[in-house]
Amino acid sequence: MWYYVKKLQYPANVARTDLGMAKFLYAQYGGPDSELSAAIRYLTQRYTMPIPQAKATLTDIGTEESVPRCYQ
Amino acid sequence: MYSKDMVNLLKEIMAVDFAVYELALFLNTHPTDRRALEDHNTFATKSQELKAMYEKKYGPLVLDSISEFPYQYINDPWPWEIRY
Repeated sequence: MWYYVKKLQYPANVARTDLGMAKFLYAQYGGPDSELSAAIRYLTQRYTMPIPQAKATLTDIGTEESVPRCYQ
Repeated sequence: MYSKDMVNLLKEIMAVDFAVYELALFLNTHPTDRRALEDHNTFATKSQELKAMYEKKYGPLVLDSISEFPYQYINDPWPWEIRY
């Protein structure tokens, strides 16, 4: 289970609009090789992991990838 | 509106939590590394102290924080509305 925390992982200031950059970002978090796809893979793969190290790591990186930094 | 002091304290929490997070990922695969665990626990303690201080002054960071009336969690600014 996940809770939102009212802070960012790293400070970000949006200075201006940039449609080209927006398209790159959108592919990065919504596309086939996106963070969202990776997150779901990690969070599914963890159930078949035989060792604690792998269960923990897949849970944590799946959590991180599930919310791209620009949406936090 | 929010103060420079609020942003600075929040940035300090963010920096400490960044360290906690990276150490935690490392410890997942190196659970017997004593030095990493000591660093992790030092930063985790610091994080708890700073968050307690922040929430007392500026309100809840998480939905299960204790709130005054009216419910303070919904208050601005949200993380994407702050000039860091």
